[in-house]
Amino acid sequence: MQSEMTGGSITARHKSSVGATPPIEYVAAVYFTALVTGAALALEALVGYVAVALLYLLLVVALGMKLHRGPALLVAACSGLIWDFFFIPTRFSLHIVKIDDLMMLAMFFVVAMAMGHLTSRLRLKELAERRREQRTAALYELVQQAGLASDLDSGLRAAIQLTETLFGVRATLLLRGPDHTLAAETHSAGSFPLDEKEYKVAAWAFHHRMPAGKFTDNRPEAAATHLPLQARSAVMGVLSVHPPPGTIFGLAERELLEAFAVLIGTILEKDHLLQGLRQAEILQVSERLQGVLLQSVSHELKTPLSAVQAGFDALGKEIGGAERSQTVVRAIQQGLRRLHRVINNLLDMSRIESGVMKPRLDWCDVGELIRTALRLAADGVREHVVTIEADKNLPIVKIDQALLEQSLCNLLLNAASNSQSGTKISIRARFADHRLILSVLDEGKGIPEMDLPRIFHTFYRGDGAAPGGTGLGLAIVDGFVRAHGGTVTAANRQPRGAEIVITLPVETLAPDMVEKFA
Amino acid sequence: MSESLTALVIDDDEQIRKLLRVILEQEHYRALESDCGWHGLSEIALRRPDVVLLDLGLPDMDGLIVLKRLRQWSHVPVLILSVRDGSEDKVGALDAGADDYVTKPFEATELLARLRAIQRRTPSATENAHFEAGHLTIDFSSHIVKVQGREVKLTATEYALLKTLALQAGKIVTHKQLLQEVWGPNAVEHSQYLRVYMMHLRKKIELPDDPERLLRTESGFGYRLIVPPSRY
Repeated sequence: MQSEMTGGSITARHKSSVGATPPIEYVAAVYFTALVTGAALALEALVGYVAVALLYLLLVVALGMKLHRGPALLVAACSGLIWDFFFIPTRFSLHIVKIDDLMMLAMFFVVAMAMGHLTSRLRLKELAERRREQRTAALYELVQQAGLASDLDSGLRAAIQLTETLFGVRATLLLRGPDHTLAAETHSAGSFPLDEKEYKVAAWAFHHRMPAGKFTDNRPEAAATHLPLQARSAVMGVLSVHPPPGTIFGLAERELLEAFAVLIGTILEKDHLLQGLRQAEILQVSERLQGVLLQSVSHELKTPLSAVQAGFDALGKEIGGAERSQTVVRAIQQGLRRLHRVINNLLDMSRIESGVMKPRLDWCDVGELIRTALRLAADGVREHVVTIEADKNLPIVKIDQALLEQSLCNLLLNAASNSQSGTKISIRARFADHRLILSVLDEGKGIPEMDLPRIFHTFYRGDGAAPGGTGLGLAIVDGFVRAHGGTVTAANRQPRGAEIVITLPVETLAPDMVEKFA
Repeated sequence: MSESLTALVIDDDEQIRKLLRVILEQEHYRALESDCGWHGLSEIALRRPDVVLLDLGLPDMDGLIVLKRLRQWSHVPVLILSVRDGSEDKVGALDAGADDYVTKPFEATELLARLRAIQRRTPSATENAHFEAGHLTIDFSSHIVKVQGREVKLTATEYALLKTLALQAGKIVTHKQLLQEVWGPNAVEHSQYLRVYMMHLRKKIELPDDPERLLRTESGFGYRLIVPPSRY
């Protein structure tokens, strides 16, 4: 029980009242015993030596309520011996004749022990109560000062100050940066910098989400104690406290300090979430603006194009069978189709770059996807031999079918424009390790090695690329695939040709689902 | 085409209206024009056109609202002709009662083919017991489906799916409409059913190497059973 009490101090200021038995209690014990002895000597002639014993018993009870067990026992021992020596007949000797005197003597000790026990229990309760109260008060103060501060920096400054005054330490903070790693520099509110060694311990605490450093089980050789600022979702940083030499942190202090760290972490998290919310709002507004802008640009570009195209369609019919005029009309129509594709590519690219692009995932049959892409590319691959090599048991996958059709179509057009007519273009589809892998292979001249990393860049055009391309086709594929969280890579084939591979992480329909409905 | 059908063009762009008039008149339609939603609605009420070509971006009200108002009292076939090419726009318009959706810029031949498909009156299975599209024939009375003259066994659901598409041949049928028709109103969120069945149905009725597919996917929103041109 004694050891529990020594660990009980909550702050430096309260140590004296609740720590180890102070020597003053022994002095008090001796002093009061002497006082009672004086009184006893005066009264003995009037009341007799047995009543004097009751006086001593009163002393033991009274002091037992106030003193620790050590001094209380001292009072009992002194009282017993003095009573025995000075008052029991055969005075000035410790010899006892009557059995009831012996019993009375024993009673001194029994009462002293019992009182000591009761008192220490009472005291522990009182101590726990006070500790709770202090803890609540401290946390409340932290919320008041730091949590409700108008801005984060002044809030953190208040938190550090409170920690320092309450625990009698120097404190500093390392916050989590925007990239979710621990900042290299301590926060400006902190009152001491961390050297390299201490920083490492702090980083350890941050990564392991456990207290580290002095008074902990991890790296206790460090000079400071480092506590992770554990919030609901993540560790928001590290609180480092540097106790003055000679201080010992008890269990309660450690607990309170940890509660402080959690609270500071929560305050930081609240701020972080608030900022995220604000940013999302701004982003939403700007996305809506971008969307509206793109829609109106799209409208302004496509409406006149529609008029031109409709005009030539009508004209083509009016002219009728005149072969030469028909050739001209067809050439114009082809040109219009190309212009249409370029406009679509530019609009798609703007959508990708403005971040408005969001895949709408839905279940899709990959075979269907490939065939539709092939239909989209129709004219572009007419002069090539296109083969589809798809795994037999491709699952139904969750993707944005329209985006991927467009991607695959762009790859087909790219393959066609980079290889001779009459050569083979293969579309391959397989599924492995939760990934859908779509590739388009051609038998063209391949991609120059030095260009391999650049072909997905916006406006990249290969040397000697067929006229009419914008250099956007592959960049759009890259954008669409990225929007799905996938990757697209290019490689050359042996002996000739290029291979472009789309890899997409996909959710698949459980096979039993397919069975069930088949 | 002997009888002359009336087509109403609702579009705020004058050039487009003029050109559509030329294209429609070449196909012997009688063309009417409207430059805004209100006028368009009153034209439909007064002149009762046989088909409507509706733009979505109108100056006075969104084309989608025109469509919804119209659908409260009229079943006239509506073809949406818009520059908006997002699948949300398309699904929204089709589910609101549009019969088809063509994006601008459009090709005249494609537009005319779609117009023909939507103004064909939807026959009910009872009055038109026989259906034919390319290599596929369906006998609605005996539920017999034949591919290239050979009978194919379909499950009840596959048959229901094919029938729904065949009865609206040439038109887009949205995922929602198909799910509702075949599986009932509670299934509209379960697009996976549809993918699985379509996959099986395709295996049974499409020819493996036919580049012109019978069941065409309208990415992101629906399917269309293609009727080869010989039928016209």
